[in-house]
Amino acid sequence: MKKMLVLSAAVIGTLVLLLAQLQAQQAQQANEIVVGQLNGKPVIQPVRRGVDYRDAISPTDPAMNGPVPRLPDGHPDLTGPWEGGGSDNDMGVEGGLKPGELDSLLLPAAKKLKEERSKAIYGEPYIYCLPMSVPRINPYPWKFVMGYTSKGLQYIYQLHETGDAGAHRVIYMDGRPHPNPATLIASWWGHSIGHWEGDTLVIDTVGYNDKFWFDAPGTPHSEKLHTIERWTRISYGTLVNDFTVEDPDTFSKPVQLRYVARIVKPGVELMEYICAENNQIGIAGGYLGKSDASQIGIGGGPVLKDEKK
Amino acid sequence: MRTHPTVLLTVLGFVGLIAPAVAHHGFETEYDNDKIITATGLVSKIEWTNPHMHVYVDVTDAAGKVTTYNLELTSPNAIQRLGWNKNDLVAGEKVTFKAHAGKVVESRAALDSLVKANAPKQEIFKGQRPEDLGSN
Repeated sequence: MKKMLVLSAAVIGTLVLLLAQLQAQQAQQANEIVVGQLNGKPVIQPVRRGVDYRDAISPTDPAMNGPVPRLPDGHPDLTGPWEGGGSDNDMGVEGGLKPGELDSLLLPAAKKLKEERSKAIYGEPYIYCLPMSVPRINPYPWKFVMGYTSKGLQYIYQLHETGDAGAHRVIYMDGRPHPNPATLIASWWGHSIGHWEGDTLVIDTVGYNDKFWFDAPGTPHSEKLHTIERWTRISYGTLVNDFTVEDPDTFSKPVQLRYVARIVKPGVELMEYICAENNQIGIAGGYLGKSDASQIGIGGGPVLKDEKK
Repeated sequence: MRTHPTVLLTVLGFVGLIAPAVAHHGFETEYDNDKIITATGLVSKIEWTNPHMHVYVDVTDAAGKVTTYNLELTSPNAIQRLGWNKNDLVAGEKVTFKAHAGKVVESRAALDSLVKANAPKQEIFKGQRPEDLGSN
């Protein structure tokens, strides 16, 4: 009898495991579509991986596979607007890593900081309308604005409908180097310089502050953060961001991630989004005045006289 | 034959591993998913503001006491992209809403559905879901 029970347990366990694998495969097939090739390898377009692409065209729309539009100087037009192309809920998984893989690369102090942030649920700067910074993208459109002068392409501006707190990110395309690190003041978007490698826009950024979170669970970084984005528009509808993170105070080795942005539907434009206007975060949940909220400093919005507690 | 506890634990263990991780910075930190409020009242104010829209509804209870419910939606841009505009709901209209109450402040709630008294089958600002709230 005991043998039978053990056998039953083994059979049921195996069946459940197989079922789980099948479900995972089906979910993957349903959610991920190969949308093109880059350097001879398939590019997978996730239907939902952090970003739900609510304003983007369908990945099965034939327009997705149309030719890459080009600017008068021959470079690919990266304007967009786009949705996706960065992290939001989980920097590693959304970037193509296995669950837990990114955390396994965190150095002890960074791991501890992430654990502390996970408990301080209202500690995230972004929910107080501060910038998301690189590589975060939430489910709203964003675009590159190619800034031409009489000297050609001198600047690229990155604009987010949300995420940049009303500011803009500048990528210098005029060949200047980064400033002397000894005098560079750390900032939310850092100092970005860009250049073309064939049809790929390469953006190199240093000088970040350590305040913004890479994702909602609070994956951290230090002021030593150095990022390299390699943006390649492989078709009309798909823009690939091959993203390298180097931070010797946070990760045990450089981390390589891939995010995929999708072109928005015709007619979708960036809209005004002044986040600090009426931000009432923390009141319904009772977190106003708690240490993790007050360390950032927040607005809070109007409090009604008859609020029921 | 008795069911051996090991069998049950093994199966439950596997099922537990399949469950997806839940992101913790969204709706569930602010609102109680299980505390559902359904009420009828008069719209007193609509804020087409960032980061999120708010609809305020005055609800009068049996004793005549008025509670103003502050209902949080998603961003006004997202609502507009669903096709809604400022004429679709205005102050003074009678509505019935279903919402998830705030974990601490009950009269602040995440809107689940909202209908006008004269069109109870047509949800206003439909497409908004609680999971759209939070850090976006």
